[in-house]
Amino acid sequence: MSQKTYKPKDAPTLSPEVKVDEPREAVSSEERLQIERPSLRDWMDLRLGWYGFVRKNLDEPMPAGVGWWQTLGNLLMTLLVFQFITGFALAMYYSPSPDSAHASVKHLTYEVGLGSFIRGLHSWGSTVIVIAVVLHMLRVFFWGSYKKPRELTWVVGVIIFQVILGFSFTGYLLPWDQKAYWATVVGTRIAATIPVVGHALLVFIRGGEEVGALTLTRFYSFHVMLLPASLILFTFLHLYLVRRHHIAGPVTPAKGAPVPFYPNQLFKDAIVLLFGVGLLIYLAVALPPGLEAIADPTGTDFSPRPEWYFLGLYELLKVMPSGWEVVATVIIPTGITIGMFALPWLDRSKSRHPAKRQWIIMSGFAAILLIGLMTLKGILETPPEHKKSEATLAGSSDIPKAEATQLESLGE
Amino acid sequence: MPKDNLNQDNIEISRRKMMGLVVGVINLGLIGAIVGPMVGFAAAPLGNKRKSRWVELMDESRIKPGEVKEVNYSLLVVDGYHEVEQKFTVFLRRSEEDVICIDPACTHLGCRVDYHADQHKFICPCHGGVFDDEGTNKSGPPPKPLERHPVKIEAGKIWISREV
Repeated sequence: MSQKTYKPKDAPTLSPEVKVDEPREAVSSEERLQIERPSLRDWMDLRLGWYGFVRKNLDEPMPAGVGWWQTLGNLLMTLLVFQFITGFALAMYYSPSPDSAHASVKHLTYEVGLGSFIRGLHSWGSTVIVIAVVLHMLRVFFWGSYKKPRELTWVVGVIIFQVILGFSFTGYLLPWDQKAYWATVVGTRIAATIPVVGHALLVFIRGGEEVGALTLTRFYSFHVMLLPASLILFTFLHLYLVRRHHIAGPVTPAKGAPVPFYPNQLFKDAIVLLFGVGLLIYLAVALPPGLEAIADPTGTDFSPRPEWYFLGLYELLKVMPSGWEVVATVIIPTGITIGMFALPWLDRSKSRHPAKRQWIIMSGFAAILLIGLMTLKGILETPPEHKKSEATLAGSSDIPKAEATQLESLGE
Repeated sequence: MPKDNLNQDNIEISRRKMMGLVVGVINLGLIGAIVGPMVGFAAAPLGNKRKSRWVELMDESRIKPGEVKEVNYSLLVVDGYHEVEQKFTVFLRRSEEDVICIDPACTHLGCRVDYHADQHKFICPCHGGVFDDEGTNKSGPPPKPLERHPVKIEAGKIWISREV
């Protein structure tokens, strides 16, 4: 009921002169029910109401000034669908056990036809998605589109962002190579820095004291069950809210009447999809995914580094003085996350114009600058592959390297 | 008050409310019935206690006073649903009086430290933590010294104890 009467103050409406392809309800449902031999299209539509739904969405009014920046949501959703499909395909060949995970990834990458391409799409997809989601959020941030009545659209968006980070953290472990193993050892240890409950949380996340078989099954379960289910739920909620409140339009209303979503905006969307997905395919082909040596808890020739978008956090840990790591591991990330959730309520100004909400824009810039500089520092300081072997060489005259006393397994 | 109840008597309204309440309680019960066991099941590893085990590493004669030696060994450990031969690394350091056994997991975030013999230091490759050759934290982010495992020497053999 309230749905019909609800209309946000700034909701765009199509003027009656705007030409859409066909009349929205040429023949009413009642009239069509009387048709004796309805066309398949009418038959289906009477039961599904599908054409009305599609029509309504294609005719969704776009305020003047909406354009390229509003294509990012569509790009993001398409990329997520790609992840869903390639993930489903990868799971056909993957085995989540320390005995077989590495071998199964090796097999699917190098021996299964198109394996390298499918895995490339999935692993590069995570990178392109992070870029797309950040751009999408920055657009909403600078346009102030999260303001009343779209607060919850933003909040649901932030939840989706967290779910995406969860995907990338859990997915990173699955190949069970050195990079995967050590990034997870360090990443999960972050939980242990939380006072009081830290250790219990660490054991809960790892499924034990060490990263092992139960960590792998746990991460796999989250990666293929809980996170996809949450993502689908929150994505539908997000889309519902976007349609309910309509597109916010530019900060200062542009001249001109709203136009329907189809064809102008959909065309722009398609162009962006062409380039976005084109880039993804290019990356998957040009830079096929690698696989390092199998996870080795004793490995010395490996310097753990996280995925590039967690490098900022990683560098922050480096600059924190001893005893202050909880600031970098918990307080700053939690603070930024709470700030993101609370943004619509922190920003009290009525106006969406950036000049009218300076401290919010400044705080946003500060956060972006901090994350950006730390990430840049991390990228610049990435040790060249052989930096470590030099160090090992320097000391090699003194240390009888791994003069291993490989003992037989000892029972109790 | 819903409109359709206006003309009915109070008993009818309370009956309606009562039924709503029962539905609510049943729903809460259903949520509890699945969420409770679910949380217990997922958190089960929290109840596992580790036991310490003595492991024979090597002959005492193979390490000289003042020397730091990296030793790898493997143990059959239970890792979830299977038993695996898991490899471990420790550093043994011998002084004039005794032998200490240093765990290589950095106390900052658990990366594996390397021993740099020329500087007599343990250095963590992740965030640059530095420890002296006894495992005491000297600079960088590590909050405490490297963990030590108990050592005993019996019949010329070095044994260490570790929790698995």
